[in-house]
Amino acid sequence: MTTHAQSPAISLPEARGFAHTHLGSWIMTVDHKRIGILYMITAVTYFLVGGIFALLMRLQLAQPNNHVLSNANYNQIFTMHGTTMIFLVVMPLSAGLGNYLVPLMIGARDMAYPKLNALSYWLFLFGSLFLYSSFAFGGAPDSGWFSYAPLTERAFSHNHSMDFWALAILILGISTTLGSINFIVTTIQLRAPGMTFRRLPVFVWMICITAFLAVFSLPSLTTASILLLLDRTIKTHFFVVSEGGNALLWQHLFWFFGHPEVYILILPAFGIVSEIVPVFSSKPLFGYTAVVLSGLAIGVLGFTVWAHHMFATGMPTVALLFFSADSFMIGVPTGVKIFAWLGTMYGGKLRFKTPMLFAIGEIALFTIGGLDGIHMAVVPVDWQVTDSYYVVSHIHYVLFGGAIFGLFAGLYYWFPKFSGRLMDETLGKWQFWAMFIGMNMVFFPMHILGVLGMPRRIYTYGAGLGWDIWNLIETIGAFIIAVGILIFLINFFATLRKPPTAADDPWDAFTLEWKTSSPPPDHNFAQIPAVRGRRPLWDEKHPELADWKLEEA
Amino acid sequence: MTSMATPAHQKQTLAAKATLGVVLASETALFGTLVMSYLLLRTGQAGWPYMHPSISRLALPVLNTSVLLLSAAMSWQSDRAIQSGKAGQLKAGLALACLLGLLFIAGQTFEFTRSGMRPDDPAFGGVFFALMGFHALHVLAGMVVLGLNLLRAQLGDFDQDRHTAVDMGTWFWYYVTAVWLVLFAVLYLI
Repeated sequence: MTTHAQSPAISLPEARGFAHTHLGSWIMTVDHKRIGILYMITAVTYFLVGGIFALLMRLQLAQPNNHVLSNANYNQIFTMHGTTMIFLVVMPLSAGLGNYLVPLMIGARDMAYPKLNALSYWLFLFGSLFLYSSFAFGGAPDSGWFSYAPLTERAFSHNHSMDFWALAILILGISTTLGSINFIVTTIQLRAPGMTFRRLPVFVWMICITAFLAVFSLPSLTTASILLLLDRTIKTHFFVVSEGGNALLWQHLFWFFGHPEVYILILPAFGIVSEIVPVFSSKPLFGYTAVVLSGLAIGVLGFTVWAHHMFATGMPTVALLFFSADSFMIGVPTGVKIFAWLGTMYGGKLRFKTPMLFAIGEIALFTIGGLDGIHMAVVPVDWQVTDSYYVVSHIHYVLFGGAIFGLFAGLYYWFPKFSGRLMDETLGKWQFWAMFIGMNMVFFPMHILGVLGMPRRIYTYGAGLGWDIWNLIETIGAFIIAVGILIFLINFFATLRKPPTAADDPWDAFTLEWKTSSPPPDHNFAQIPAVRGRRPLWDEKHPELADWKLEEA
Repeated sequence: MTSMATPAHQKQTLAAKATLGVVLASETALFGTLVMSYLLLRTGQAGWPYMHPSISRLALPVLNTSVLLLSAAMSWQSDRAIQSGKAGQLKAGLALACLLGLLFIAGQTFEFTRSGMRPDDPAFGGVFFALMGFHALHVLAGMVVLGLNLLRAQLGDFDQDRHTAVDMGTWFWYYVTAVWLVLFAVLYLI
């Protein structure tokens, strides 16, 4: 604790003047709450950019033989859509929520390393701007978000776009690794008295598991990016088969990162849903231990299934069988979580506020996406639908239906804590239904298109293939999602203009972040709270019904 | 040990250990993927350099390895010295460890040029360069850490009770040495 007390005294006198201006107070901040807000605002901004890319793609594909985008532009747009949504939206949005909430939820005054935390954010911002600057220097990356070599070698990708991609990925990787180390050490070190690991909020657990996944999986992407850069600059031949390289090396390295990455994207959303569903069901989480253990199981198994992204590369049968069976297995802990949420809702007093709607939407949509994943763990099915729109449907049910719906649930749930203001419920519900209906209109027909054989990443298609109507429906659905996002922006800005009248604990919640004021003071808690159960705030509000009393009884 | 170390200091030490542990775990994943890349590239090749190296071929790599091991021993010695409050021995140990690290880098550079390999040679040249280069960068990083500790020792920052940074630097140096032993086996022995 002494380190935090000392840190203001260290700052330089000339820096102090700038740090007291409004802009300077944000740029110079090392406060976890402000850094969290910076992360979230940046990520939502990139979400709008990535969304505009998606609308452009849908406009191009609305009709056969369309000419909204050229083929070269289309390649850049879909690559930047994927890279943006994964590295610049879902990861930093989770990092932002984690930054803001982890110290509050464990009863701490800040992260373990506040300055490192600021460095993580600014590296993220720099890396993302560096990636986008490629548009000004001869074109953006255009080889898809997984940048398969040798397509990305200089022989096939002449401009500097892939150098931008690989360097940006390195910078973003360093940012995420530093942030992850901070989350892990914070959770180990700064828990309030009595906040044992068995009482840790599930959201904190999931952020920690995510951090471990990042720390162990990102090095593989780092290796891949550096080897690619070496190939492109000093002409090594890691991925050039004719010179003794191995094209599958890239795929192994990428997916050894890429599959844990899927869980890096989804586990924070699972954590959010695990916080929201109990509060809006007025019940403790059903099967806390099972939910945490299944998260750990996903974390471990997530490292052993990477080659199911490579079924079509001609692997030996024994490898196919192993990775297929393993991919079935990873469905089990995910199913455990879904049943735990259903069990929490069962018999509960349900309140269908906007955060709860998004959480239920997440459960429903992720279930569809998860089942799609199980289909593709069947090798012959995968061979049939690989690289088709079926895969695109799967990842969007998992990452848009799963991660984005979960993150919106979190934004609505914690917005009063961030700002002292409750978002408008009517607009929130309109947003939810627009996004839910739009999302199913866009992504459900992709299953059908995939089975009909429409390949992903084609910039146009001929008439009369039976694809026209589904593509048109998808484009209409995409604009319905856009209306939903527009409603969110209206709600967000309108709410910020209202006076901050929200109560400290507007949802009658269970965890420590609601114990302090909204927004919390600089040091979060005047007095570090003592914890005796999994629902410390519930215990305080209902002393006669406190969880620890019932456990003792 | 006489306990001038406050609970806050102990907590900081614990945080430093946890942080270093996570960093080294992540580094292990990095070198692990590099070694796996090496093995994957090698499976696709009929011939491979250094499959059955002669004693004379191994002389320089063994000498380099000995230099690094000696450096790790110096680092161990310096850490032990400060634990019993001998700041002079700490400084001598850190300086020697740094110098031997520099000698190791020079030896590795000589080894690479002597091999006649070029990074743009098919298969082996590139991965040989990448493995040795990644490791050399870590040795350089370790020398920066040891050098900073030497500077702080000169300023009198460390004593019997407060030397967490020395411990951390020493462990990082052990780790870099251990990684080289693995890479040595991968490159020259298996």
